Amino acid sequence: MRGSASAVRIEIVRAMAPHVGALGDPRTDLWQENLAMTATPGATQPAYPEHPGRTDGVCNEFTVFTKIKPGEADALREDLAALADAADDERVHAAVRQIGTLHDARHVIFDNDTRFMFASVFDGSWDTYIDDFAKTVVGARFDQVFSHSEGFPGVSDPGVKDWFLAHQEPAGVFVSAYPDLTVQQIFKDQRVDKAFQEVLDTAEFRAALDNPANAELVATPAFQKLLGEAAA
Amino acid sequence: MSTADSCSAAGVSVEIDDVQSGALRPRPVPYEGKFVFLRVDDRHAGRALLRRLLPVTSGGLPSVDRSQDAWVAVAFTYEGLRALGVPQESLDSFPRAFREGMAARAELIGDVGENAPAHWEAPFGTGEVHIALSALSSDAAQLDKELERARVALEDTPGVQVIWQQDVRQLPTGRTTFGFRDGISHPNIEGVGLPGSNPQEVPIKTGEFILGYPDETGNLPPMPSPEVLGRNGTYVAVRKIHTNVAAWRRYLRANSSSAEEEALLAAKMVGRWPSGAPLELSPEHDDPELAADPHRINSFLYRENDDRGFRCPAGSHIRRTNPRDATIIGDARMHRLIRRGTTYGPPLPEGVLEDDGADRGLVGVFIGAHLERQFEFIKAEWVNDGNFIGYPGEKDPVAGHHDGTGSVTIPEKPVRRRLRNLPSFVVTRGGEYCFLPGLRALRWLAELED
Repeated sequence: MRGSASAVRIEIVRAMAPHVGALGDPRTDLWQENLAMTATPGATQPAYPEHPGRTDGVCNEFTVFTKIKPGEADALREDLAALADAADDERVHAAVRQIGTLHDARHVIFDNDTRFMFASVFDGSWDTYIDDFAKTVVGARFDQVFSHSEGFPGVSDPGVKDWFLAHQEPAGVFVSAYPDLTVQQIFKDQRVDKAFQEVLDTAEFRAALDNPANAELVATPAFQKLLGEAAA
Repeated sequence: MSTADSCSAAGVSVEIDDVQSGALRPRPVPYEGKFVFLRVDDRHAGRALLRRLLPVTSGGLPSVDRSQDAWVAVAFTYEGLRALGVPQESLDSFPRAFREGMAARAELIGDVGENAPAHWEAPFGTGEVHIALSALSSDAAQLDKELERARVALEDTPGVQVIWQQDVRQLPTGRTTFGFRDGISHPNIEGVGLPGSNPQEVPIKTGEFILGYPDETGNLPPMPSPEVLGRNGTYVAVRKIHTNVAAWRRYLRANSSSAEEEALLAAKMVGRWPSGAPLELSPEHDDPELAADPHRINSFLYRENDDRGFRCPAGSHIRRTNPRDATIIGDARMHRLIRRGTTYGPPLPEGVLEDDGADRGLVGVFIGAHLERQFEFIKAEWVNDGNFIGYPGEKDPVAGHHDGTGSVTIPEKPVRRRLRNLPSFVVTRGGEYCFLPGLRALRWLAELED
């Protein structure tokens, strides 16, 4: 299993860095540079460092490979399709928000419907919040999806952490484009930018900038930085 | 989990008389007490001591008879169980965190730098702490009586050495060395028959606090074998924390322009006023009358009226360590603890801003059935990081180790306040993970053979 798993891992790493594919040749300088960025010194370390999975800054990668129960690939495919149902999109994203530490996740059926991969990127280590995970709205979906894998004990089973760890393969390379940003910080940044753009669209803001009474504030380096972002 | 689910198992029958009183019972107010660590050099002597301590150790709920209002609790480290000759198979059945001990987990829970085990007060973290005794009473004479019984038991037992003692007592102010009333919150535990301190808290499953009963996941907490050893036991993280009261006062002074502002800033960092009145119920000023009312002092939630923390900041000490229903990553009910803080050392006189060199602080006791999911999780995720509330990298302003580089965000309209260059106000002087067995298990330990 391990041999073919490592071949799959290369695909994962490529998928995580789509810009590399866009450059045509994965062996560009950028790629080489990224190879060295498997961890960011000084960043918050995961709470449970003894567990596998690479970190880059605040993020940790988590990839498991399982065997699909014979004859259940179609049932799994149906569960995944339901999970990806566009009508359900809002609920799915609300669930991801509830988890609050999940950057992205993917489910992949491969090897002629015999094997299944789940790969995701979390803030901190995956198991930090796994006890809570079963209680989120995605806990039941996770339970359903993995029920087609051989030996899965159930997401609320006390042995579920050990089962996942036994099926986990750490990435050879894991790199994030934003190693210092947690999911929460990204949400905040989105909200701040949206609000900032709205301010820029008001005539009152432009008038306030030109008002000599505000000259002192406008001239501060901190405000000039903000104007730098407002310029384009 | 829905409220209905949480209540559905009400009527769970708890063998409360087998659970050591020290586990579940809120500490008396006021209190005097003592922590004693023992080293067992001879397992037969250790067992003999346990037999003598058995009559001193009580189970169940507080006595209505105030003259009986004292207790001695007996807990063991992993090394202690080994020293007593507990079979290896049984030792191996304990959870990893307990087997490794607090010192080995120091990095994970943020005890680094000046807080690292290399700097701990002996015998913390040396592997020599085998048995941890604690005694608390609201009555000094009663405490002395209990301690005398324990002392007699010890004196008759060569082969067991007292290697550390710490007196604790409530200061005359009724407050901690930082000047805040503590010991207010106590969880509402299903089937135990003690009221929780927050009438709005839905009862927490028994198995979050006592081994042998279903916990919030619907499973039994991992339990050591044989069953007689594990059942009705729990785990205790004991920590000695030095408080740098002068640094606390200086920081407050330097970051405010009046006595009122200073008091408000301190309250924003703690989440309560000195009297114990919560900011959530009294956001503008202290309210001793509210604080004196046991039905009101802890009766509040966060989400409905203060989701964004304009009253009680999301980063404040009490909101981090017990977020109740606040909007956070994860599920707060999975990380609940029984907390029993006790104060040691002389208070720094009122108004003094320079350190007098005295050792003062607290001996904290954190009780629950899951060391990893409760104590360690809270320390690593909620005290030492702010991601769960949307402030990545910000630590608990009071209990975090900041090293002069910390920050704390205080929501305010129109613009939040952010304090920077926070020094550390606490230093870890040491800690141990202990197992607090039920009374039948204590007897089992005392009667081990070979």
